[in-house]
Amino acid sequence: MPEETTKTTKRWAMVIDQNRCVGTWTCAVGCKEINNEPLGFFWNRILTAAPGETTGESSPALAPPASDEIDVPHGTFPNVEMAYLPVACQHCTHAPCVKVCPVGATFRRDDGTVLVDYERCIGCRYCMAACPYGIRIFNWGDAEQPVDFTVGYSKDYRTDGRLVYTPNRPRGVVEKCTLCVERIDDGEVPFCVQVCPTGARIFGDLDDPESEVEQLVAEEGTTQLLGDLGTDPRIFYRPVEHEENV
Amino acid sequence: MAAGIEAAPLRRAPAGRLGRGFVAALGLLVLWGLAAWIYQLTQGLIATGMRDLVSWGLYIFTFAFLVGLSAGGLIMASAAEVFGVRSLRPLARLGVLTAAACVLVAAMTIIPDLGNPQRVWELFRYPNWTSPLVWDVLIILAYLAFALADLTVMSRKRIAPSRRARILRTMAYAGLPMAVLLHSITAWIFGLQIARPWWNTALMAPLFVTSAILSGAALVTLVALAARRFDRIRLGQETWTALAGLMAATIAVDLFLVACDYITILWGNVPRERAALDLILPGGSWQWLFWLEWIVGGAVPFALLVVPRLRRRLDLLALASALVLVGVYAFRIELVVGGMLRPLLHFAPGNALGQYRPGQASFQFDGVYHPTWVEYAIVTALLAFLALLVTLGYRWLRPVERADAEA
Repeated sequence: MPEETTKTTKRWAMVIDQNRCVGTWTCAVGCKEINNEPLGFFWNRILTAAPGETTGESSPALAPPASDEIDVPHGTFPNVEMAYLPVACQHCTHAPCVKVCPVGATFRRDDGTVLVDYERCIGCRYCMAACPYGIRIFNWGDAEQPVDFTVGYSKDYRTDGRLVYTPNRPRGVVEKCTLCVERIDDGEVPFCVQVCPTGARIFGDLDDPESEVEQLVAEEGTTQLLGDLGTDPRIFYRPVEHEENV
Repeated sequence: MAAGIEAAPLRRAPAGRLGRGFVAALGLLVLWGLAAWIYQLTQGLIATGMRDLVSWGLYIFTFAFLVGLSAGGLIMASAAEVFGVRSLRPLARLGVLTAAACVLVAAMTIIPDLGNPQRVWELFRYPNWTSPLVWDVLIILAYLAFALADLTVMSRKRIAPSRRARILRTMAYAGLPMAVLLHSITAWIFGLQIARPWWNTALMAPLFVTSAILSGAALVTLVALAARRFDRIRLGQETWTALAGLMAATIAVDLFLVACDYITILWGNVPRERAALDLILPGGSWQWLFWLEWIVGGAVPFALLVVPRLRRRLDLLALASALVLVGVYAFRIELVVGGMLRPLLHFAPGNALGQYRPGQASFQFDGVYHPTWVEYAIVTALLAFLALLVTLGYRWLRPVERADAEA
């Protein structure tokens, strides 16, 4: 008798509610800490965009970016508007980085997390050229740390034998958001989700109809970043609702 | 041609003080570049001017440039056979020699660009077949093997002339599609990327093939002119005319394709593509690329090659060929950098820099790229090594018929 198989693989997804994000950068700093990111590295950053801006086309008015400083509204006074757009790896279903990696160092797990094998990466940086979101960071030299001890998750983490996290990154490899693979495999949520002071990040399993994430994704108006490129990210955004909130 | 060579007594030309000095200078440049690479290995790629926004630089420009250079020779040799272009036939062997040397050095150029060069063997152990880079490595190696085989057939004295002609003819038919494939796959490394609207055009492969023929012809012309100066080779005016005609035609086609791209972007006015083009057009911060490509490497050599009073002068042919190489190199820079300066998500504060610089931002809003001395030294060494290969290969093979051959 074949045993009834229970589905163990999840389809992880995250919704970022821009209505709730107030631009504290807590998720970016938390990310830096839990992943021991070297100085000058940000796996996760909070862009100052215009409301509803998830296409990268800089609508409204196809205007150039407001400023190269954060927290500067778009538009001309008194018609100014602003929204925060937190951007880390989008964990694309059709990930261009996975397609271009010549040695399969960047790969996508069945649960949807896109990861980098630090022991495989040859450092050609083709994935950086292929990523539409600019979220990949290269270890150009030796990692510089503000303190002389490891912070955050302090052990190596392997999945299928592949080294996808190590607190002290080797030189010459590309790194990026892992969706806190060591935490989600252990039943926890990614650290950015845990630390967000306004609860703007919602994480869960798309296959679970009861999950908040599944219900939000099914909602009208939920978008994907640069959705027209067809990368089909597992990170979704709830854009600022214009009339009520501005 | 082949019979003529065999009839001639194979005489080693005296190297001469000038020749020895040239080779020694090239050798020194190679050693200097090797030292720079060792330094880069100790520091990591932080020793270069590349960072997270402009993450490909001088090495990749040079790689694409050298792959292009390798075309001309083989295409010329093959065209001479396939299309019966008699006037190019005397240059067939020289063409294949430069093709082999260029593609070998192109493959070498990838190595210093890698963060972990010691893992390069993984390309063969774990190839990911959706990656254009894997296909490019394979076609580069196949092309190199092909050029070397071609050269062997052309140079071995034991093969009977009729048999040699038959083999070369067959190889010429294979060589042409292979050259087109090499340049197309290299173009697709860039052209297939949806993240870079500046690269993502179907024109990329035709552009690469055209600019490859253009720059390859220019290189063969320069080498042939040098050989004429130092080795008293015998080349009729019709050969120089054919080279000039080939370059003039490919300049025109090349700039036509680029213009098609510009017009499509300007008329459509899509911000993502305008972002890159505006940097390069007159008034943009990278406009020097526009002038190099359109005037210095475009209009000027085109005029030198088509104006009847000018095109017969070999000194101007040399100048035109050199300018063509400058223009094509500018096109490689324009291509790579243009795609990387402005990220698709162009919002404050920008992308992570990937480096900590006390007192300065860890983010970069627009890409900047200034190559370091390490990159210049390594690229100079690679070009010097190329010159060395061509010089020594020329001396060894004597690929062009000499004036005293029919004594």
